[in-house]
This record gives sequence, C-alpha cells and structure tokens, in this order.
Amino acid sequence: MWNEKGYKRSFRWPQGVRLPIAVSVHHQSEEATCPMPDGQPDPFDYSERQYGARRGAWRLLDIMAKHGVRGTWLICGATLEKYPEVSRAVQQAGHCIAGHTYAHEMMCNMPPHSEIALIKKTVAVFEDLLGEHIHGWRTCFASHNTLDLLLEHSDIEWDGSMWNDDLPSLIEGHGREILEIPFATYSDTALGVDITNPAFPPSRFSTWNANPPDFMLRGLKSAFDALYERGAQRAVMMPLVVHDFITGRPFRSKVLDEFLTYAKQFDGVVFTGHDELARWSRETGEFGKE
Amino acid sequence: MAIEIKSKIEDVRWPSGVRLPIMLTFEHQAGEGAPLFAGERPNYMVGGAMQYGARRGIWNILELLDQYRVKATFFVLGTTAEKYPETVQAAAKAGHEIAGMGYGFASVRTASEEQERSIVRRAAKVLQDIADVKIRGWRCPDYRVSPKTLDILAEEGLVWDSSLLNDDLPYLFDTGSRKIVEIPFTTSTADKTYVGYPYPQRGGPDGLSSVWNNELDVLYRESEKAPRLLSLSLQTWATGRPASLRVLGQLLDRLLGHEEFRFAQCSDVAGWRLNSAAP
Repeated sequence: MWNEKGYKRSFRWPQGVRLPIAVSVHHQSEEATCPMPDGQPDPFDYSERQYGARRGAWRLLDIMAKHGVRGTWLICGATLEKYPEVSRAVQQAGHCIAGHTYAHEMMCNMPPHSEIALIKKTVAVFEDLLGEHIHGWRTCFASHNTLDLLLEHSDIEWDGSMWNDDLPSLIEGHGREILEIPFATYSDTALGVDITNPAFPPSRFSTWNANPPDFMLRGLKSAFDALYERGAQRAVMMPLVVHDFITGRPFRSKVLDEFLTYAKQFDGVVFTGHDELARWSRETGEFGKE
Repeated sequence: MAIEIKSKIEDVRWPSGVRLPIMLTFEHQAGEGAPLFAGERPNYMVGGAMQYGARRGIWNILELLDQYRVKATFFVLGTTAEKYPETVQAAAKAGHEIAGMGYGFASVRTASEEQERSIVRRAAKVLQDIADVKIRGWRCPDYRVSPKTLDILAEEGLVWDSSLLNDDLPYLFDTGSRKIVEIPFTTSTADKTYVGYPYPQRGGPDGLSSVWNNELDVLYRESEKAPRLLSLSLQTWATGRPASLRVLGQLLDRLLGHEEFRFAQCSDVAGWRLNSAAP
C-alpha cells in the first residue's frame, strides 16, 4: 500500500521556470494495434501504426533537434527490440528515456504477477540493448496495482501513468518514494484523431479521422496561452504528448514544428524531460496537506 | 501475430532532375464499400454518397486532370467497372493507369489462398475485358491484406502493391521466390476526412487544402536531403465533388510548371524503385 502527498498550492518550480513543457513521445509503433472482431490484429491498423518506427519517430527526433528541445521518449520494450536504431538515436540525442510497458499491454486487465514480469522484462530490454537503466515508467492503462508494484519491485523514480492531476505528487510506500508526474491529453496532438469512430471500427486511432492543422495548432496555442498566463502566479506544466505514428506523419509534424516555434519565444518556457521535472519537484516542490 | 512486416527500409533514387515526385491516386467505387443496414437492406445514405464518384465525380476529375495534363492512377473495383464501364474506359483512354482494387469489396484478410487468388484473377479479367488493360498494381479495397496477399499478387504477375501504410517511400518486398514493389499510401491526408460524408467533415475544402499544403511543405523540405514522395490517396466520390475539386486544382496550380515536381503514376514509381535496386 502507498500514501500520496499531493502538491501544495505553494508548489513552485525553480527560479526562472514559468512554464515547463514536457514533450513526451510515445514510441510504440504497432504495439497497440486494434484487433478485428475475430480477435486477430487489424492489418490496416498495424500497417498504419508501423509508420511510427519506420518514419514517424525519425521525423519527431529531427524536429526536436531543430528546436533544441529535450523531452521524454516513452518506449515500449518490444519496439526497442524491433527497431533498436531509433532508440539508440534517441539516446544519442540526450532525451530522457522511460519504459512504456513491453508491448503496450493494458495493465488494468493484468494480474499482479504478470504486470511485475512485464515491468522487469521491459527494464531488462533497456539494459540489454541500450545499456540504460531506466528511472521512469508510463502505462496508459494503469492497474490498481501499478504504483505498488513499481514501489516494491523496481527502483523506478518517477511514474507518469496517472491522468488525475496537473502537477506531480509524492507517492510513499514499501520503504521508498516515487514521484507521480501526471499527464493529460488536452494538449495531445493525438487528439487530432478521433479515438472512437463507431461507424468504422475497429481502427480506433485510424488517422483519417483527423482535424485539420489550423484547428490542432489553435488548440495547442490556446492551452499554452492559458498555462503561460497562470504560470506567472502559480506552478503549472504542459505535458505535450505525441505519438510516433500520429504526429510523425508529415502534415501533422508541421503542427508540432509550428507550435514549438511559437512557444519557444516566451521567457520562462523551458522544454524538459520527466527526469528533470522529478528532480525539480524534489528540490523546490512542496507536498502534503495545505 | 498473423502479420509481421519487417522489410528493410531502403532508399530509392528518382530520375535525375526530379526532386519530389507527385503521385495522385483515386479509388473508384460505386458504394460497394458502404455497410448495409441490418437485414442486408441497402444503404442509400452512405452508399449513395459513394455512388456519386461513379455517377459524377470521376468525370469531374478526368476533366480537371485533362485541363492540367496530369496523369494519375485509378484503383477500380471490379463491380464498379461492370456497372459503370464508360468511366473506366474513359480513364484508360485518357492515359491514366488502371489498377485493381478487388471485386465487390470482398475482404481477403481471412480468405483462403484459393479464394484470394480468384478475386485477383476475376478483378484483372473484368478490367481487361472492359477497359482493355492489363493491371500491374493492386490495392485491397478495405486496406486489409492477408498473410498471402503479396505472394499471390507477385505470382499473378503484378509489379506493385499499394495496400500498406507503413512508409513514405516504396520498397521491395521479397516474397521468397519473387519480388514485388510495395508503394505505401496514407489515409492521413485523405479527402474523405475533410469533405466526404459519412466520415467526420472537419474543416471542409479549406481544411483539406491546409492538410495538403502542409504535407507538401514538409516533404518538399525533407526532399532536399533524402528522397521523398508526395502521394495522395483520394476517392472519386470525395475529391470529385465540385467544392473539393477546386482544392485539387489549387494544389496543381502550385505544382505545375516546376521541373523538380514530376507527376508519376504508380507504375512509374515502381519502375524507379526497381531501377534503384540495380547495383
């Protein structure tokens, strides 16, 4: 069991940091392919998502390099095994690297022993192929056990699986603590894509259900503007989630490119990875009851 | 996992002087792809919107392409060719490439090898009989390949397939005994998202225009350093509507008259890919 200490309203980032933006690239390629009604993987969805590792991830890496943006790459163990050259380039570029489950499993459907095994398997893949001991973790579909298992069976220092807050919390249990750095998809360029299209299942992420670029850019800018304004008085952060197979497509990548150009020009906007957010939270964050 | 597509990413060399080939493709169906209402009752709503392509859309597109002297590729469903033979004949006569897209929208994903082969043969024969063309390329109508699709197409003598969505560039698919060129496409820039019922209509012609312009901007910039291909996968029933036809015209206005853009049919691109493979 664990205890949570939420952030206090007095929580502050280090001096000079008005709005941290954590560009979080979900590098999962075809791992979350939707099944057809007969349970077999949908070849259309598989192929569309596989673009992520073959092209999309490289394009996102280039755009981040162009803007000098350091972010967090959340990488599935299986994706790393199949396309190690992408992750090696990510590592070379100095981004924060974190585990994103083995094959994008829905941990919420898993018994604890399976979830532990998958966490350990994924951690081992990063050690074997990248020589990197990962300190961060995200599962988009956390179970009731996820935080306990991370505390008890790993030395993960931050988790980014929760959707229920806007700043980090401190999670204590099993004789140690981790930082929960929550995420949200209001700023997810993936939301340019309709997640559910009951008329044409089952390609739920099928990228033909997309918004036009000006709509996406407007959404990102309006979220940024609001957070930047509030950042003058209170701590805020902008988790900017993008997927290799969605935002990595050419026309959508330009939206990210344009947004970074826009956001960069404001004083106090800092692009950073979750490792640094975790460190700042420990250094200047305040947690507990008001 | 039934499908494991791990073929190598290989770069392609375009003919000298070509910086960014432009490949316009149109899927031509007459509503066969629309889901029927319960009890196999016809769906004149979705099916009707798609039937527009065979009734009107393709004629509008052929006229526009003729005005701009641009050659494209049409994926034609066998049943549509039977119902609207004059549309396919006109496209072939105008010099556009005619490729196969199955028959009656039957999915091959779970078909037996024998069934799938008979679909390919039937579709090829219909297009041969009606438009006097020998097809060289293929797209699965629902974009869902079977584990044997590429083998069967290669064995049937086809040169290229365009049913996958996993790359920006064509690559060689080694089926074991034969090679076939895969020319991946994308639905992310599809006309139907922005202008076509029954898909969500987001932004209309203006949204579609900004998508295509963004795509062109990014690929053009990238093509300075590495080969790229601007490939648009369109529907005769969506781009063929007057309002979206204008968007295509505006794109052609932007592209025409520049040597570095070369309009290519799928077989041109497949041929360039095969030539690039030579040592």
